[in-house]
Amino acid sequence: MSEAAATFTEDRQRLELAALSAPAVIFTVAMIAFPVVYTVWLGLHSFSSTGKQSFVGLANYSRLLADTEFWHGLWVTIALYVLSLVLQLVFGVWLALVLFHAKRLPGIVRSLFISPFMMPPVVAGMMWLVILDPSLGAANYILQSLGLPPSEWLASPVWVIPTVALIDTWQWTPYVALIVLGGLQSLPPSVYEAAQIDGASAFKTFQRITLPLLLPTIVTATILRSVDLLRFFDIIYITTQGGPGNASNTLNIYGFRVGFEFFNIGYASALMLTLTAIVFGAVLAFNRLRGAVAW
Amino acid sequence: MKAKAFAARLALALVAAGNAASVACAADFDWKKFQGKTVTFLANNNPVAQALLAHKADFEKLTGITLKVDGYQEQQMRQRLVTVMNARSDEVDVFMSLPSREGPQFAAAGWYADLTPMTKGAVAGDYDYAGLSQALLKAGTFDGKLTSMPMNIEGPILYYRTDILKKCGVEPPATIKDIEPAAKKLKACDANITPFVSRGLKPAIAYTFSNMLHNIGGNYIANGKSNLCSAKGKEALATYSGLLRDYGPPGVVNYSFQQISALYRSGRAAMSFESSNELRTVMDGGERLKDTALVPFPAGDAGQVPTAIGWGMAVSAHSKQPEAAWYFVQWATSPEIQKRMALQGIAPPRSAVANDPAYRKWIEEEPVRKQWQAALDVLAAKGSSEVGYPIVANPESREFIGQAVQDLILKQKTVDQACADADKGLDALIAQK
Repeated sequence: MSEAAATFTEDRQRLELAALSAPAVIFTVAMIAFPVVYTVWLGLHSFSSTGKQSFVGLANYSRLLADTEFWHGLWVTIALYVLSLVLQLVFGVWLALVLFHAKRLPGIVRSLFISPFMMPPVVAGMMWLVILDPSLGAANYILQSLGLPPSEWLASPVWVIPTVALIDTWQWTPYVALIVLGGLQSLPPSVYEAAQIDGASAFKTFQRITLPLLLPTIVTATILRSVDLLRFFDIIYITTQGGPGNASNTLNIYGFRVGFEFFNIGYASALMLTLTAIVFGAVLAFNRLRGAVAW
Repeated sequence: MKAKAFAARLALALVAAGNAASVACAADFDWKKFQGKTVTFLANNNPVAQALLAHKADFEKLTGITLKVDGYQEQQMRQRLVTVMNARSDEVDVFMSLPSREGPQFAAAGWYADLTPMTKGAVAGDYDYAGLSQALLKAGTFDGKLTSMPMNIEGPILYYRTDILKKCGVEPPATIKDIEPAAKKLKACDANITPFVSRGLKPAIAYTFSNMLHNIGGNYIANGKSNLCSAKGKEALATYSGLLRDYGPPGVVNYSFQQISALYRSGRAAMSFESSNELRTVMDGGERLKDTALVPFPAGDAGQVPTAIGWGMAVSAHSKQPEAAWYFVQWATSPEIQKRMALQGIAPPRSAVANDPAYRKWIEEEPVRKQWQAALDVLAAKGSSEVGYPIVANPESREFIGQAVQDLILKQKTVDQACADADKGLDALIAQK
């Protein structure tokens, strides 16, 4: 076959491949791009309560900067994010170590440890709402049985964020633990043997070997949990709807209410795009960190 | 004289012709006219819809129409509706709507089909349009257009424990001013009992608070401005929040109907100001059947102006088959179906159904049901459907009312600060077109 003929065959094959994969590519791009482009378009418009729309340019974004509820929502979102993430990483690593070292732990116990994150968040929210009810719930009953004062839990403007963070931690710690457990199982045994020969204590081994080697895995877990935590919605909506007052009104809850309860879709879209930008920013930052701690 | 006699005869002839036409129309009415069609019903998965849809097969058998039910929880149902309506889609033919909440907004957006001509056109002979609650029909009429047909009547009423009040030597409160001393006495008498409970969850507060405001003599708007900082408005805010803060359960700011009914049913509340719809839930298990009495909320300076609302059935303005949709609405709000729903504990918006022998027998079976019906009669006769501000942005107005009450329950603001902040936001909402 001449060179020209071979090139022609190659080009033809490429064209065929492109033609065959085009529908899937177009479909995927459309499915991802359309909602984003549509939300951007919505964010440039104002919708009255009766659905009438008008182009307002960036007015929704300038309104956002002057909106105290937005800044409060941002603060609540970040507070909830930081608190939940720290708790989940600490307990997740601890649970992973327990599961890793307890080789003889029965399968049923292991399943129980990791079961919360398999529960639908709405069910988890309803369950905790009942448990934490200040009058009828089991949580205060236990506290009072131990001679401790009862708490208002989700009904207290002071305690609502820690309480929601605890519920989320209860649900998602096992997920972090599973990721970390995967990382633990892939660590090279030779470094542990060397540490043992050198007489390193268990704590020193964890501090100097396990933790540094686990860092890329922990950062991966951080990225996955960050995306979820920054757009945390379901449990908050089920348990407090952003209350009491606006004490747990995260950006996501605020945007939802503006859009679907007050029907201001334009402003809600601007809020959601801002939240999306924050999520992307966090993911990019942690991605860089992952690159830095890779080994 | 002759002219007068002629005019009288002409008028009589016209009335007779009108009656004959409507009789002919009823006689011509054919339930099978839309046989083979499919009507889509967007339903709120609440007790009212559940009671109705228990008879779905009967509708399909009667009309030959297939009824496709799209059921969601209340808020999710609205989300779905907003999406469908904004897209001007004909996916939904009939939907449930609360005229007191979204009525002005949906009407202004043009989402409701006008039912006025339908109620005068294809109507079954036994429909008895005039027998429906005129107050609820009025509440569902915007700019002269009838937007929904009432499915039920409901409103907040006071449930109280006769045994606890008797044990503590407390008379049932006859006026709003009697509630606080009664609650105080109950608190001193039995520390394990919550003396008074009502809605404290921000978006839910307007439902019960409006009754108190109106009984006290307050109103939401005066001279085009929000009126919460009027003397009556402040009195209502202080009284409502004070009762919940000092005599309500811990965590009352998260209380809506589920928590209130659970607390009362478990025997841990002496007085509960909650929806008449909750009767079935509260009486579930039968423990409260013999020790509970029900009354409309006690009178204030303006007497009793109870909140009375009802779910309505509306036909979508974008439906491509409004006539078939109207057949479903008509069947669902007919005397026969409303009687069946009444026997399932859904208060009927028709006095004729309320007087039906089978329904009366059900009512007479338990004293508490008799009191429930008596309270509903007061709601039907004196009720106001104003829950929150009578403006297009009614749902948002409820947020400001709820925020003001919560600020007071949580002692985060004084009454003057709370009402002033609420009035500021509400004035902006009122100004919106």
